[in-house]
This record gives sequence, C-alpha cells and structure tokens, in this order.
Amino acid sequence: MLQEIAMTDRTAFGIGAAIYLMAFILGGIMLLFKKRYPRAAMFALLTGGFLMQTLGLNLRGAEIKACPLGNGFEIAQFIAWSLVLLYFIVGPIFRLRLLGFFAAGLTTLLAGGTWLVPAWDKPYPPGIFGGNPWIELHAALAIFSYGVFAIVALVSTMFLIQQHGLKKKQFSGVYAYLPSVQQLDLMAKRLMITGGTVLTAALIFGAVFWINNPDLVPLFKLGVTCFIWGGYLTVVILRIQKKLVTRRHAIAAIVLFLLAIASLWPVQSARHSELDTPPSVESLSK
Amino acid sequence: MSDVLQSLFVLGSSHHQAPLEVRERFALTQNEANALQKQLHANGCIRECLIVNTCNRIEIYGLATTADIESDIRNELCAAHGMSRELFDAHSFWHTNLDVLQHALEVSTGLDSQMVGETDILGQMKGAYATARELGCTGTVLNRLFEKSFQAAKAARSQTAITRGQISIGNVAVDLASRIFGKLSSSRVLLLGSGDVAEKTAQALQSRGVADITVSSRTYENAHALASQLGGAAIDFSDYEQQLSRFDIIICSTSAPGTILNAQNLKPALKQQPERPCFLIDLAMPRDISSDVEKLDSVYLYNLDDLSAIANENLEQRRAEIENARSILKRHAWTLWLQLRRREMQPQKV
Repeated sequence: MLQEIAMTDRTAFGIGAAIYLMAFILGGIMLLFKKRYPRAAMFALLTGGFLMQTLGLNLRGAEIKACPLGNGFEIAQFIAWSLVLLYFIVGPIFRLRLLGFFAAGLTTLLAGGTWLVPAWDKPYPPGIFGGNPWIELHAALAIFSYGVFAIVALVSTMFLIQQHGLKKKQFSGVYAYLPSVQQLDLMAKRLMITGGTVLTAALIFGAVFWINNPDLVPLFKLGVTCFIWGGYLTVVILRIQKKLVTRRHAIAAIVLFLLAIASLWPVQSARHSELDTPPSVESLSK
Repeated sequence: MSDVLQSLFVLGSSHHQAPLEVRERFALTQNEANALQKQLHANGCIRECLIVNTCNRIEIYGLATTADIESDIRNELCAAHGMSRELFDAHSFWHTNLDVLQHALEVSTGLDSQMVGETDILGQMKGAYATARELGCTGTVLNRLFEKSFQAAKAARSQTAITRGQISIGNVAVDLASRIFGKLSSSRVLLLGSGDVAEKTAQALQSRGVADITVSSRTYENAHALASQLGGAAIDFSDYEQQLSRFDIIICSTSAPGTILNAQNLKPALKQQPERPCFLIDLAMPRDISSDVEKLDSVYLYNLDDLSAIANENLEQRRAEIENARSILKRHAWTLWLQLRRREMQPQKV
C-alpha cells in the first residue's frame, strides 16, 4: 500500500514540518494579539503534521526495512514524532494549556531544522542494526525516551515562564494561558519518572546486546549514553526524595535535554566514521 | 404603524446620572417596584411595561399608545416615591425609539455598569423580565426586546474581551491562586486577622471550593465568629506559626505595627512541604509580611497594591473593549429594530 503513495519520505517529512510551523505561527499570532487561544485548530494542525510525519517514517522504514533511526535526521524526526504522540496523550488528559503551542515550536525546530540540512540525512548501509530486533527495540525505546524528555523540557520551560510571571506580577499574554505552576511541576515530575524508566529499559536491552557483542558498540557512544542516563537517574532520584523540586528541577530537566540532544551529534559522527572506515582484513577474514 | 414604535421609551436613573445619596432616595423594594409596574400597566396609555430595579439603577421600559407620555410617567414615578419632580428630572434620563434598544442591549452586556463588563446585571435583567411577564405587563415588543438583548449580550461578551480579567480584589486573588495551584479543592487557607477585605477574599476563595479555611486573630472571639461565618475553624494566634506548613494560601490583615511573617519563620514550613507552592496575600497596612519572602523559590507574595494594580489593569482592558462591544450591539439593535417594525407592519390576526 505504501508503494502506491506518490510521495517521497522527505516530502512527507517536509509537509509535516510545514504544518507544525503553521501551528506554531498560528498560536504565536493569537497570543501576540491577545486573541482566544485556538485550541481546536492547534490540535488539528498538530494531528496533520503528526500524520504526515508518521507517513514519512513508514515510507523510510519500508525503504530500509528497519526502524528509521540510522542518522541524525531520522533520530530528530523520531524524537519530534514521539513528542507529538505524547502531547496527544498528556495534553487532553491533563488539560495543559499552551502545551500544543510549545510542542509545535520544538517539533518545528527538530523536524524542520534537520529537514533543511540534507547533509544530516546521510545515507547508511542497510541492516545497520544487524537484523537484531532487540537492538532495534533498544534504539526505538531510547529515542522515545528522548521524546518524553523533550516534553519534560517543554513543561519545565512553561513552568519557568509561569513562575517568572507570578514572581514579576505579569499577567497578560502568554502568562494568562499557561497552566498553574503546581500542575506543571507535578506533570514534569511524572514525565521525568516515565522518561527515566523508558530510558533505563532501553539501556537494559542495549546492555544485553553489548554483553554479547562488545566490539559492535563504540565506547564513546556507550560513555555518552551512560552519562546522560546517569544524569537523568540522579534527577529522578533527587526528585523522588524531594531534594530537587520546582524551579531547580525545571532547570535540570532543560539542561539535561539540551545535553542529550547535543550528545546525538558526536555519537552519530562516531558511528558514521566507523561505518565509513573500511573493514580490516582481519574482520573480513572472520 | 411606526408611531407605535415611536412610543417605545425608557425612563431611568443610574450611577451615571445620580450620586449615591440620590440613588438611595430613588431605591425601590421589589414589592414597590412590582406595584408600580402594575400601576403603570393599568394606565390606559401604556401597552407594555417592565421595571429594572437594582442597587445602581431604576429603569422603566415601556411601550406607550401615544408619543407624548414622558411627563405623565415621571409624575407617576415621583408620586410613588414621594420625591420631588425637580430632583428626579435633574438625575434621570429619557430615551425613545432605537436608543431604547441600544440602551437595553448595553445594560444587559454590562457596558453601562459601574464595573464595566460585570455579569450580575444580566441575571438581574432576566429576573426583571421574568417578573414582568409573570405579572402580564409585557407583550410582543418588550418580550422580543429583552430576549434579543440577552442574546446580544452573550454575543458581545464572547466576541470581545469585555468580561475578561477580574476586577475585584477577592476575585483577583482567586485568579492568582488558580494560576499557582490550578484546582483549589485541595488548597487550605489561613486567615490571619479579620479585616473586611480579607474576609471578602476568603469568601471568594471559599466560593471556588478551597478545602478549608482557618482563622486566627489576636482576639480569639473575633476569629471564632469569622470562622463560624466561613464554615471553618479558629486557632489561637500564638499557635499559627507552628501550623504554617498546613496551609497553602495565607491571607494577612492584622493591625500589627510590624511584620509577622518573614523568610526566617516561613522556611521551616516550606521545608516540610517542598513541592507545594505557598501563596501569601498581604492585605494589611502597614504590611504584615516581609518582602524577603519573595526570594524563597515557591513563595508568591502579593500585597494590596499588587492586587489593586491587577484589578485596575483588567478594568482598563475592559474599558478599551467598550467601543468594540458597542458596535456589535449597534448591529443587533438595528436588526431588532427592523424586526419589530416588520412585525408591527404585518396585519394583526383576528
């Protein structure tokens, strides 16, 4: 059925990013002109963007016959997709106003930004995961946890904005539409624990693969991943112990997410440089 | 035909024409207003009649059989009140025709209210209309006028920001509490002192369903009386400091000469509930809460000036919307006018 769609995966990703951008611009204009926040229109636009992105991921997956997580572009698309998926779950249940607007902004940045740089969509040889379903599950879960951390960072940003408004006695514009600080803080806590759990599960699957194939996992990637995981684990533990709460928790969530995103680039570079290196005679002879 | 609508009128007096001491003299009880309404309707020159009687206005809407009725109605109203015609003439207004429609629509929307955009007036108009209908004083013209004015009010409110933002101290505090806690159903309130504004603020919070309200005052009897009134509990003033951690919202309005809450005595309470924000409302003069508490992470301190500034800002925003709302109402008034004329032109079924 996917073959019948007269559209390339990149076109679908591009349209998806454009729809996210439209949602962000619409929300921004309404807030700027102090108009009623268009909740239904935002939801519809994000749904449109999400469907186009799902189509793009499906087309790419069908082409490479694996979960499309082989380069920076695909990872960014997958994180953006996970973020919007979580918005659909978290937004309506907890009625977090403006989350759609912030989600549209970040997905535009992730999906649109990487789409505009074709070099990030570097081709890679098929079977990058070696046909091992466990390592595919590890990669998908790890990137999904990044989606969770992305939404934690968004909720934390919203918390800091609302707190700033309350402390500085600002009320109009964006402040009037944001959810309460307590609601945002509680949501950030729950999502942080969820993200930490998903990432831990991903690393457990990854560890099983690593124990059996230690040569196939670059040490640099392993080190960076453990560093990010350690950071999140520390924040989760401190939060549960009520030692890192509210403002400091929000700042930690944002900093960790930025570090996590920044770590993708060197990790990808390390992996691609390994893939670009011609195999040794010794390994070929095996 | 159109002569009939030419005789549509409204005679009244509100805060725009009369100061408080004069309005006090014009005030009618509900029974007096109903009696006057029936009396006017019984007058052969008035086909339909409706009285809107609130604390800020008395207005008689009517449809006369002749255009030259103003003096008679003024006399009848003054006689019912036992007040001088000169005084009433100096502090009243008289509108006819299309102006009546525009006025009724503006009153329903709250544009004519002292607190622009307030919503109580719509309920009062609906009540007056229901009473007049029950008494059989209204007919097709006033029925249509009032029903349409309620619809127009709804449209103007939804299409403009005329009702946006709270304009009373109590409701501003409730709004802020909602921005801090979201739902207030689990928020616990401590009232320190028993000032009037603090009491009203506590009532506003209570109306939004806070978990409970505790009162503490230097005079335990005062605290107990207010607590009973609010359906809460009273605690001894010497105990409140030890119990601060139990509360999410603390309203201070004591007459203490210095501050009674500061960062030092608040910190232990915050340590016990590190995830819960603390909303402090200082309504005392001189202030009860030291400004150093603002440095604490989860503490949000608002004093009387802050709350008044928000209320005034909201009121200004509402005032800025008056012209937008008025132009919407003008369109509604004109459409209604055409409908009423068309209706009057149609031959009456026998």
